[in-house]
Amino acid sequence: MATPAFTFTPSTFQKLHPAEFFRRFTTEGVRPDGRLLDAFRPTTVHHGVISTANGSAMVRIGGTTVVCGVKAEVAEPKLDAPDQGYLVPNVELSPMCSSKFRPGPPSEQAQAVSEAINRVLKESKVLDLKDLCIEEGKAVWVLYVDAVCVAYDGNIFDAALAAIMAALNNVRIRKPTYQEGTIKVSGGSTATDENSFTLKLARTPLSATFAIFDTTLTILADPNVTEETISDGQISIALDETGQLCGVTKIGAASCSQSAMKDCVQSAKKRTQQLRNIMNQQ
Amino acid sequence: MAADRKRVAGPESSVAPLVEYPIDYQSWTPFTETRHDSHRQPEDLRPIYLKTGLISEANGSAYIELEKTKLTCGVYGPRPVKRAGQGFSDRGTLNCEIKFATFSCVKRRGTMRDAQEKELSQILSQGLTPAVRLELFPKSNVDIYITVLESDGWGSCIAAAFTVASVALAHAGIEMLDLVAGCSASYIPTSIPSSASTSESTSESSEGAGSITPQIFMDADLEEEKFQQGSIVLAYMPSLNQTTHVLQTGKAEGAIISQSVEHCVEACNKIFAVMNHALLESIDQK
Repeated sequence: MATPAFTFTPSTFQKLHPAEFFRRFTTEGVRPDGRLLDAFRPTTVHHGVISTANGSAMVRIGGTTVVCGVKAEVAEPKLDAPDQGYLVPNVELSPMCSSKFRPGPPSEQAQAVSEAINRVLKESKVLDLKDLCIEEGKAVWVLYVDAVCVAYDGNIFDAALAAIMAALNNVRIRKPTYQEGTIKVSGGSTATDENSFTLKLARTPLSATFAIFDTTLTILADPNVTEETISDGQISIALDETGQLCGVTKIGAASCSQSAMKDCVQSAKKRTQQLRNIMNQQ
Repeated sequence: MAADRKRVAGPESSVAPLVEYPIDYQSWTPFTETRHDSHRQPEDLRPIYLKTGLISEANGSAYIELEKTKLTCGVYGPRPVKRAGQGFSDRGTLNCEIKFATFSCVKRRGTMRDAQEKELSQILSQGLTPAVRLELFPKSNVDIYITVLESDGWGSCIAAAFTVASVALAHAGIEMLDLVAGCSASYIPTSIPSSASTSESTSESSEGAGSITPQIFMDADLEEEKFQQGSIVLAYMPSLNQTTHVLQTGKAEGAIISQSVEHCVEACNKIFAVMNHALLESIDQK
């Protein structure tokens, strides 16, 4: 008597054995959504989308959409840095963008992404905080950079960093006057180079993220949400416009060979150049 | 306010700078016979842009834009209720949560949900629940999450929230009795009361101090709302000709209120056509 064979429809198979389903594709050199292993999803960048913000941008990488808004407020500087302002980046992963996130305080993933981006911005000295000084020891600008994820389909790090850099490029702040403890800015009329200033960014780091699969030794570029869930780890590489490394963030418990790392950095160089072209076009 | 340890920390407190307008600056007032947007008449709504399906992870989603008011909505459900120990209920529940992005208003908003957002969430739940067939999914919950990306007018924000939530619910395939369209109107005095001004007032003679009839401005934006005496937001089911929620603030005479409700109902019918169009488009896309 022949043993019965189990057959499944592709969608059932994906639910029962996600890793095996995935492996069937990667051994052929493609992924379930039809991309090659090193292909990034179509990316668009829009500048100045929110008029109530000092600077804003919206970035879409495949199905992941991030809207970033920058609001400038005035605060007292820290005692040990009386001529430096503040740059406060944060990434919001709300329950609206995916069912993975629960309502309430920021999840671990949101905190990790916010902290990773904060580190890239601070350590690579993207903005000289002395430029944000209004009156030494008394008043400085605080730039609250909030990236809100509107739709989540994996690779939040790349999308959030690109949105934050595009929004910072877009910032326009009215020139302040300091008068007896109050800061005044001029209102009305459109903001011009005379009554407002833009930020001087020393460099513009952009990143490329890769998912690592230990068992099959595969590296995938720009993972979507299903690939992220079954991957063993991820590595994000941030580079500036001169090709210098601005940050490497590795999460998860995957190990990666040195040659694979080098390939990732090369691929990241090409990708960030492509991303820069997209940002400058629009 | 306690420092939010779970976010990258900024300074303990910060304020927005004081905005000083030059002496010769002419800001808009309702006494100039036109609206803030000079292309609009008092009975005109802002053009609506509605699109569905922007959030792939959600069961249903929609995005609405009324010029400078932008909202996104994601609907998840019906999902099983986590805490089954709350007793069996033969009707599902609708949970609505609205959040303003920190950069959505002129003054930066806090990251934590404040009382205003909690109240708005309640208002939305009350306005949408009558339209959804909750008896079809017992022991389950439908979650509606709305993020306001940019806000230009409080009333229009609430009205847009009703509209976008209904479209997202329909896109999610949740059975409803009807779509809920939202519309807002403001009562703005367009002439200075003769008792308060000098003899240069050219308005029709107003009997008694301050008894000028305000004009009804549909879908007022932020600049226009600064001058309003009162406002009304209506959530209305166009096919069934039933109102699910009315939010009236400020003072107005009974005649003005009934007139504005009629205007809102007319406007809701127009909005209903836009909602249907957006949903038909989403079917074509699939």
